[in-house]
Amino acid sequence: MDKKLPESKVIVVTSGKGGVGKTTTVANVSSALARLGYTVAVMDLDIGLKKLDLLLGLENRVIYDIVQVIEGEIELKKALVKDKRFPCLHMLPAAQTRNKGDITPEQVKDICEQLKPDYDFIFIDCPAGIEQGFQNAIYAANQAIVVTNPEISAVRDADRIIGMLLSAQFEDEDIGLVVNRLRPEMVREGNMLSIEDLVEHLSIDLLGVIPEDKNVVISTNKGEPIILNEKSAAAAALNNIALRLSGEEVVIPTFQEESVLQKLKIFGRKFFPTM
Amino acid sequence: MFEFIRKLFQSEPTSRNQANERLRVVLTHDRMNISSEVINELKTEIIQVIARHFDIEGVPEVNLISEGRNAALDINIPIKGR
Repeated sequence: MDKKLPESKVIVVTSGKGGVGKTTTVANVSSALARLGYTVAVMDLDIGLKKLDLLLGLENRVIYDIVQVIEGEIELKKALVKDKRFPCLHMLPAAQTRNKGDITPEQVKDICEQLKPDYDFIFIDCPAGIEQGFQNAIYAANQAIVVTNPEISAVRDADRIIGMLLSAQFEDEDIGLVVNRLRPEMVREGNMLSIEDLVEHLSIDLLGVIPEDKNVVISTNKGEPIILNEKSAAAAALNNIALRLSGEEVVIPTFQEESVLQKLKIFGRKFFPTM
Repeated sequence: MFEFIRKLFQSEPTSRNQANERLRVVLTHDRMNISSEVINELKTEIIQVIARHFDIEGVPEVNLISEGRNAALDINIPIKGR
């Protein structure tokens, strides 16, 4: 296991609103990068409400947690859980019975500095909200991924988060938008915000679009990363996000093209409203 | 041209359009940390000031619009000619 990149990338994944798919994104993009041969560390900062261990299917292998590392009870290397499927992927678990206030942004940064010599990518899974947990998560990062859903409440929270990131150490180009759970057929029917709409509202660059896909639920149930499922549209999108983060140029499909049949239907409705 | 095509293909306001409209207002207000009440108050005051010097005709408009992540006040007050 060798580090490939001269400069490690420390990426916080955040959203404001809960339940939009932050942890799913972290688990799968980090697995995908590890599969590409990069060394990847993932850190769960949702202290008190941990999920990353479950989404990676590593819940039975957790022994120590990040708070124990910070309090000097255990060495960082011993607390890192190794993923058998991806030898280059290591996870630092959150503590379940402690609070966000038990750690500080500086302590998280200190852990990142210790990880940098060994890892190409360090992902920080940020808790929902804009309080202490958010501050802990963003301080050490030099890039941010904002995950949102095509839904007004999620977009409003994402906008607030982007504003807070821009007032912290991040520039426009350090922030990438991931739209999760897009339903292209609803966009075409005029019943869901489109990718174009979201980018216009939030004014940041698009990093990826993940379509709604029931395979995500199935993989999560099993504790398997979705990226290994070659038939899944969500998997393709997550693998593409990983490629983009590694510096490759990959076109982002926005799932907006209307089929000829759909166009005819809409056109027909315009002139024959009773149809 | 695109607008024309869009209008041709969309006969009624869709829920997507409504979401966009609501988001536009709420995001602009959030970013400015200002409520629609304050905007309305501002609108009344601006129109009052202009009305002291000119005869206003038609419907005056004062709107907060966003340009990227920044906002601007869009003031459009038609004035009666002599």
